[in-house]
Amino acid sequence: MSSLETFLSAAIILLPLTYLLAALAYGWLFFAGTERAKRLSTPLLLTGLFLHVAFLAALTLHWAQFPAGDVSQALSVVAFAVGLTYLLVEWRGRDRSTGFWIVSVIFFIQLLSSMLRQPEAVAQSALLKNAIFAAHAFLALVAYAAFVMAAAYGFLFLRLYRELKSGLFALFYGKLPPLAALERMMAGALHIGWLALTGAVAIGIFNGYQRYGESGESWVADPMILLTLATWSLYGLALLLRRTQQWQGRQTAIVSVAGLCAILLSLVAVNFLVGNFHSLGPATGQT
Amino acid sequence: MPAAPASRQDLPLLLVGTDHRCAPLELRERVSYAGEAAEELLVHLLARPELGEAVLLSTCNRTEVYVKPRQDEGSYQAVLELAFSSRVPEITEEGRLYVKRGLEAARHLMGVASGLQSMVLGEPEIHGQVKQAATLADAVGTSGTLLRKMFQAALKAGSRARTETAITGGAVSLGYATVELVKAIFKHIEATRILVIGAGETGRLATRNLLDKGAQRITVTNRSADRLADFLKEFPAVDTVDFDQRNSAITVSDLVVVTTGASEPVVTAADVRSAMGRRPGHPLLLVDLGVPRNIEPAASRTENVFLHDIDSLEKLIQRNLKRRREEIPQVEEILEQELDHLNGWFRGLEAEPLIARLQKQAEKVRRQELQSALGNFPPETHDQLDRLTRALVRKILHHPSMRLRGRDGRDTLPHLDLVRELFKLDDEDE
Repeated sequence: MSSLETFLSAAIILLPLTYLLAALAYGWLFFAGTERAKRLSTPLLLTGLFLHVAFLAALTLHWAQFPAGDVSQALSVVAFAVGLTYLLVEWRGRDRSTGFWIVSVIFFIQLLSSMLRQPEAVAQSALLKNAIFAAHAFLALVAYAAFVMAAAYGFLFLRLYRELKSGLFALFYGKLPPLAALERMMAGALHIGWLALTGAVAIGIFNGYQRYGESGESWVADPMILLTLATWSLYGLALLLRRTQQWQGRQTAIVSVAGLCAILLSLVAVNFLVGNFHSLGPATGQT
Repeated sequence: MPAAPASRQDLPLLLVGTDHRCAPLELRERVSYAGEAAEELLVHLLARPELGEAVLLSTCNRTEVYVKPRQDEGSYQAVLELAFSSRVPEITEEGRLYVKRGLEAARHLMGVASGLQSMVLGEPEIHGQVKQAATLADAVGTSGTLLRKMFQAALKAGSRARTETAITGGAVSLGYATVELVKAIFKHIEATRILVIGAGETGRLATRNLLDKGAQRITVTNRSADRLADFLKEFPAVDTVDFDQRNSAITVSDLVVVTTGASEPVVTAADVRSAMGRRPGHPLLLVDLGVPRNIEPAASRTENVFLHDIDSLEKLIQRNLKRRREEIPQVEEILEQELDHLNGWFRGLEAEPLIARLQKQAEKVRRQELQSALGNFPPETHDQLDRLTRALVRKILHHPSMRLRGRDGRDTLPHLDLVRELFKLDDEDE
């Protein structure tokens, strides 16, 4: 086993472990608010992210392609994107109150990625070496990362909404950003996700026609494409209803959370049924 | 290796006081001192030969006199007569007063400054009141080195408690609980559009609290124009709207505080639904401070509407008080640290001059003996002998010095007088 493969094998365990420790530190901060927790939380997250950068770089080197060759790799990229985005949000807002929840989601996604890892099943695809397709994959992963953030903020919105509505003033009250801020953060993430997904879909369609011509049958029926179109429609509808003010914060939050659960379940299903991200047939002119 | 904390020695302090826990208001108000009366009392206290320093802390919930006695006998009687029993003879009944001495008095003051002894746990105003008491005593000239230092230590303990713990965290009054809810929903109270329905006493209190916390966009309405006019005299910066236009005003508000004496709701569920229909997507916080309730409870079923009445605000207040109580152990830890510092300072006051004299005397003896012995040794050994004798003296005095400073970990301390006598430290230098 080469040193790169050794590193990859070790990182696949260390990454979720580091994120778990970071989540625990943020949790300690959320529930107890101690100085020590404050000192530990961000450095642990940073450690995880640095390790993650090295892991993704090693994946790219090993497979000589953008690290989205299978569901496991894609999930890992999403986890990293969420981590980076959260760190920016924390730095800009000087607020760690949502850290426990976001970093827990990062841990969960990376854990899923580690558990689904099947190196022998990674598609060595000319597609991923293609710059246009790589842009499509990148935008898609940014979109999913944004949907993860939207779901996390949506979850927190719903919990705080419930406590404020019922006058319970329990776990979340007084510890989170204000309700209106959570709604804005959720909506912002949804917008970014939907726009990125629109870009990914557009490039994907363009690329699909380029490779497979007009015989859509061989590629449009790809499970991942169908899932993406369904996701794009669902979130687009939610944003439209929010914009026309028929939907208020709570409904959008429910869709954010439910939408992410559906995406994750589908990704797991796709991974087991198809094995790769896309089960694309032969390109035009190929057998 | 860090030095062990100084063993505690009792400070020459006496506290005689009464507060809301041991005396009812009708007694407390008769021993309350303000302005000239406070100054006069301080001057009279210091005129007594038994007392060396005095500071008076008198607020609506407590009157406490801190003194440094010159004599143990008679200091308590002096304080009792001048500050308490001359005005309220019955205050000498059992349980009406408390008396604390030494470090207990210092600890009590630190607890007071930290808000631990307040009627509302953690209330921050007491810190300023303790500061004022110290400033007054300084101005009148009745506080000296010890009480000045003690009050500084108490104020530091209070500041640390506020910044390092959450003892003052969370709203514990109806007005501030409303503000807290605003911040939980909208974040910036400065940008929050507020409608106050009802210009009576509760409406004024709520408006005052909101303005104190930075609210800038307040509109008020009231059924009676006269009462509204009175209200505006106190709050000229607020806007007004006709009582009949209140539903339109609700449509453009983020927070609506309703506090009328009406027996029927002045804001119905239908009004709220209609208002929300014209501004979907924007949360609305309704605070009903009326008894009977001024807002129909069914209004809370509307999406994005948060309705809170007195009971739910009280629940919030109790939650915050419970969290403050959880901070008490941390605050007490801070008090112990500051008490240690105060004690260390006091030890230094007493012991350092004595240690310096001891070392000076030992050095004098060393030089005399060395001078007389040097003739018996070759010159090249004189430096060595000098170093040797210095080291000997240092080693011999090390433990006694540590003991006098109280840093050898033992609880009991040697009487300084005994040390003076043993080493004849009162003799004049030759």
